[in-house]
Amino acid sequence: MLLATVLLGAVLFVLGLIGFVTRRNLIIMFLCTEMMFQGIIINLVAFGRYPLSGQRLLDGEVFGLFLVAVAAAEAALALAVVVVLYRFRGTLDAGAWTLLKDE
Amino acid sequence: MPSLLLAVVIAGAVGLFLSLPRGRASAGRIGSLVLAVAGAMLLALLARRLGSDAPWAWYLGFALVSLLAAVRVITHTRPVYSALYFVLLVVAVAGLLLMMQVELLAYALIIVYAGAILVTYLFVIMLAQQPHPADYDVTARDPFWGCLAGFFLLALIGSRLVGSATGVLLPEPPPPGDNFTLVGTRLLTEYMLAIQVVGVLLTAAMVGAVAIARREKPTETDAAEGET
Repeated sequence: MLLATVLLGAVLFVLGLIGFVTRRNLIIMFLCTEMMFQGIIINLVAFGRYPLSGQRLLDGEVFGLFLVAVAAAEAALALAVVVVLYRFRGTLDAGAWTLLKDE
Repeated sequence: MPSLLLAVVIAGAVGLFLSLPRGRASAGRIGSLVLAVAGAMLLALLARRLGSDAPWAWYLGFALVSLLAAVRVITHTRPVYSALYFVLLVVAVAGLLLMMQVELLAYALIIVYAGAILVTYLFVIMLAQQPHPADYDVTARDPFWGCLAGFFLLALIGSRLVGSATGVLLPEPPPPGDNFTLVGTRLLTEYMLAIQVVGVLLTAAMVGAVAIARREKPTETDAAEGET
């Protein structure tokens, strides 16, 4: 059960990573970071629920709750930045912002 | 490394490469077919590792829904549908957590993710609505290298996992008391300082978001870049 659950979390994390690297829409990219958070939450809970010592720990769930709070803060800031960027340039393309690019 | 896991990872990477949006729809059907084969093999692999006493039908159902939703999030060309599939993913993950008797976190996921964060995402998507199809939605950026990197990462994680941590896990009796009481007590005693820090973080993020989003006029740097 632990192995299957952790493997599922890893698959979700990698899918989010691939989406973050390959998609060009800023909103979808941040959605993919949230998907990586889902994989991490599954991992934390699984290791807390089926620990190798045999005794159930609660720290995994508590860390998962903190992760949800951090994800909420990240979503608020990221979406504020996306709104400002869209207002300036009128596009959500991540490749439209090249001010810091090394020519 | 077992060959089944390797086959799953290879088929998943190929199917994802084929079904990522690239401006033409012909490869998408083959890609979804390959992805379905990879998903079936992955579910078989998971079922073999579950053990006999686990409620495997529920587990496999939630795993199937979450994988399907995750793939649709990163392959759909309309952002609104991506966000809605993400809601489905959150619901499936919450179901998995409920199966592991982690009720508080499961409800928090539904309330905070599906109820608050995703609604914010939907608002921003509708605020920044583009005429469909937008160019950056139907073409992915370097799908080959992205899938290759994901393949290597998942193959590494999977080989380490499947090779190592088997057979040490005993089913343990559930602890006394319900999950809410246990976790709440733990949060307000041992993790008291962390709770306060998270509160400060959330407040700072809210103030920062308001401060960023209120900026209306482009600064000189923005204007300079706009000219180039």
